[in-house]
Amino acid sequence: MTSPSENPAGAAGLPAFSGSGLTKIYRTGETEVHALRGVELKIPAGEVLVLLGPSGSGKSTLLNIIGGLDRPTDGKLYYEDTELTALDEDDLTRFRRANVGFIFQFYNLIPSLTAEENVRLVTDIAEDPMGAADALALVGLAERCDHYPAQLSGGEQQRVAVARAVAKRPGVLLCDEPTGALDSATGVRVLETLAQANRELGTTVIIITHNAGIAAMAHRVFHFLDGQIARVESNANPIDPSEITW
Amino acid sequence: MKALDLKLMRDLWRMRGQALAIAVVLAAATATFVLSMGVHASLTETRDVYYARNNFADVFGSMTRAPRSVVPRIAEIPGVRRAEGSIQQYATLDFPGRVVPVRALINSIDEHGHDQLNKLTLRDGRLPRLGEAGEVVVDEAFANTNQLGPGDELDALIYGSKQRLKIVGVGLAPNFIYSIAPGVLVPDDSRFGIFWMGEKALEAATDRTEAINALSLTLDRGASQADVILAVDAILEPYGGTGAYGREDHLSHAFLDNELMQLEAMTQVIPPVFLLVSTFLVYIVLGRMIRKERTQIGLIKAFGYSNWAIGWHYLKFALAIALLATALGAAGGIWMGQAMTALYAEYYRFPFLYYHTSPGVFLAAAALSTGAAALGAMGGTQQAVRLNPAVAMSPPPPPIYRAGMIERLGQWAGFTAIGHMIVRHIARWPGRSAITVLGVALSAGLLFSTMQFLDSSRSMLDSFFYRAQRQDLTVSFTEARNSDVLYELSQMPGVLRVEPTRAIGVKISHGNKVERTSIQSTPADATLTARIDADGSEIELPPSGLMLSRQLADKLAVRPGDQVFVELLGGRRTQTFQPVVSIVEEFIGEQAYAGEETLEAIARDASPVGSAQLLIDPAQRDRILTELKEMPLVLGVTERDAAMQKFEEVIDENIFTMLFFYISFASAIAVGVVYNSARILFSERAHELATLRVLGYHRSEVGIVLLGELALLVVAAAPVGCIIGYWMAQLMTAMFSSDLFRLPFAPTRATYGYSVLIVLAAAMATAFLVALRVLRLDMVRVLKARE
Repeated sequence: MTSPSENPAGAAGLPAFSGSGLTKIYRTGETEVHALRGVELKIPAGEVLVLLGPSGSGKSTLLNIIGGLDRPTDGKLYYEDTELTALDEDDLTRFRRANVGFIFQFYNLIPSLTAEENVRLVTDIAEDPMGAADALALVGLAERCDHYPAQLSGGEQQRVAVARAVAKRPGVLLCDEPTGALDSATGVRVLETLAQANRELGTTVIIITHNAGIAAMAHRVFHFLDGQIARVESNANPIDPSEITW
Repeated sequence: MKALDLKLMRDLWRMRGQALAIAVVLAAATATFVLSMGVHASLTETRDVYYARNNFADVFGSMTRAPRSVVPRIAEIPGVRRAEGSIQQYATLDFPGRVVPVRALINSIDEHGHDQLNKLTLRDGRLPRLGEAGEVVVDEAFANTNQLGPGDELDALIYGSKQRLKIVGVGLAPNFIYSIAPGVLVPDDSRFGIFWMGEKALEAATDRTEAINALSLTLDRGASQADVILAVDAILEPYGGTGAYGREDHLSHAFLDNELMQLEAMTQVIPPVFLLVSTFLVYIVLGRMIRKERTQIGLIKAFGYSNWAIGWHYLKFALAIALLATALGAAGGIWMGQAMTALYAEYYRFPFLYYHTSPGVFLAAAALSTGAAALGAMGGTQQAVRLNPAVAMSPPPPPIYRAGMIERLGQWAGFTAIGHMIVRHIARWPGRSAITVLGVALSAGLLFSTMQFLDSSRSMLDSFFYRAQRQDLTVSFTEARNSDVLYELSQMPGVLRVEPTRAIGVKISHGNKVERTSIQSTPADATLTARIDADGSEIELPPSGLMLSRQLADKLAVRPGDQVFVELLGGRRTQTFQPVVSIVEEFIGEQAYAGEETLEAIARDASPVGSAQLLIDPAQRDRILTELKEMPLVLGVTERDAAMQKFEEVIDENIFTMLFFYISFASAIAVGVVYNSARILFSERAHELATLRVLGYHRSEVGIVLLGELALLVVAAAPVGCIIGYWMAQLMTAMFSSDLFRLPFAPTRATYGYSVLIVLAAAMATAFLVALRVLRLDMVRVLKARE
């Protein structure tokens, strides 16, 4: 596998997401937690972006807001021309359905559905999806499509989750610690699939990780600290996931 | 408070909805138990006290006419403690301005107050005085309904002659706790009353100086009732005795007994259904709770708590629910018991009737609910006790799903992924799915089996009044007449048709079984009365031999083709063998029928006319009724439409109360079952539902996963419910049937429909309520946690 492209087709340099003054305050009882403190951001389309930072620095909060799972307390966020912060619950659902693929640390597969059916969950409702079998083939699990999650290894389950996320040909893939529960060899396989989606489908990929090594495969790295982006690091030559050292 | 108990309290609070839903179902069991046991005990105790205080007799007899001197002879029969003779006479009352026939049964009473048996309790006024003709005491219900009291007067036709009656008192007696006029089914106080008149006065009015026609006796403790009856019958035989009988054949006693039996049946059928469902609910809810708290259980055990302490902790959860249910159910039961007792007081005339329950009933109710809850908790607590702490603290293995038979069905039907999720989850938890189906089915079944009693009553009404009786009026005579009377009646203007009914009192025996009954007969060309079979078809009287009602046939254990021994009571006292030719499935009473020739053969005379059925021109009704009132030979007139109306009134009066209880009870089960299933389902699937939301499924689409599974289970419960209902209804109609009447099993399709619809609506509304939780699903939080 080669490294992710420098200039993904059809999305050159245009921001997929742009946000300003993004603030998120969680109130529990009398205490307030400022998870985001006026974040300004531009995420170019077609890039691989890694969010790095200590626990509680605001990475996951931002990812959830970008994915339409949560709303900021203040600030504006655009996806292309759409102001996400102005959408209601149903529109946000529609936005996720059409544009976003999620990958989580603990896979979140439906245990009562086989690998293929888990992918079909998404292809059933997407507008122009690839076939469920094709998506599984993409992650190298074509022959395990009839297996239930309980019959798959952790790495295989995560690859099914990746197949499920990419099957709708999403504009953006949001990955929260996708390799957190995996050993290095399996983790590399998953990352390679993400890079492949970025390269072949032009999908913007945003990865949260604690593993600084993964940053090497990104075009851009946001370093988080105390609810703000402390530093943005660009990477002219992202490396192939297989070269990442754990 | 210990930390573990604190956890228990908070768990109960956190799961208050589910705990309450179970408690309500369990409370329904307690309530019906407290209600029926309490009412049963109240009625029984009140009756027993009343019987004892007013010396209700043990054996009764009647005869055409006997000299008063037979009473001491009867008192000498070994085993008889006391014997009293009296006169009983039907009379027609004339209320000015009222055309409807009003009848009274006048009983003689000793003017000196020497009567010891069936003693009258005076509520107002005084007893009739010796030498004062026409003084009467009237029964309380009749006095209240007709607004009569001491000082009022009214005209009566007694034994063919007119007499002015003066009311001097209002009272009640234990032999008329329930009183109905002959030929009707429910009490009608505006048309029938019980009167008491001084002995001498009634003797004079009925031409029975020093004579009696009724007998009451009490027995010594341990005396054989059967032997006494034999001896009494032997003494009364020359006087036209119609056979002495015990309390079990006494109308008032039998009706009350019938009611008590129905209450007992209710206690035996309804609470067990609720208890069963509650046990199931505790089982599934506690099971889920323990699975969810697996890690906590491991931790608590690791701290050093014993297995026993853990088991006891979860058992207490169930017991707390049972305790709440007992309190709720007892309160509800007392409230309903009071209402029901008040209802009974309308039909059964006691000097006092209060609802009261003994502590024993509450203890028994508490034992039943704690027993049911503990039984349900057994599975869960055992699981908690057996859990190894090391294993418990590691996450549970993922649920294993397999492609089974449903799978192939799914592929064939082209299920979506969501469809697969639904059916596989059902298949993954077959026990719990079955409990949901069974619970909802039991709810529909219970509703059906209770609602069909309305169909049953209507069907009885239909068969007894509409099909079997086509006359407008039934006229009974002071004494059996020859056919001239028919001619006389037919000559009245407005009378369109007259048909005689003949009846003779008999004792029928088969093997060692003996029954007192009457053989009735109508002419072969009769059109106004008919014998109607259970299926609604008309059955012809056999040209020879007997036709028995099913009830009588069962009691005698005879089948068509068997011979029975028939002894005529009174008259020529003939004894003949008669073949049983056919059996008619009748619902009310137990009697025999025969053609006129058979009847004549048994009676050995041209059997007299006991009563006549009249078809009249409705426009002439008032005039005919007025004229009949004046006829000395007329003992009483029954209007079919009025009797029917009264019966309908009784049904209608109670219908809303009954429906309210039935529907609430059944819905309690459906809601309890579905609410708990839905909550468990939601808790198990919250993670998956959140995942679907993240993947871009709308809330309504996600709700389908939840509602779809419940809908499938609830719909599957519908046919099961019908089957359970059909079975329960048959059981209940059988249990509710007595010597007095059998309830027909005649549910309409609408009743099946309503039962299913009501339960489905309650179930789906509950499911929908739980599904609204999807709206509040916190996707982020759920996905952070590992299930």
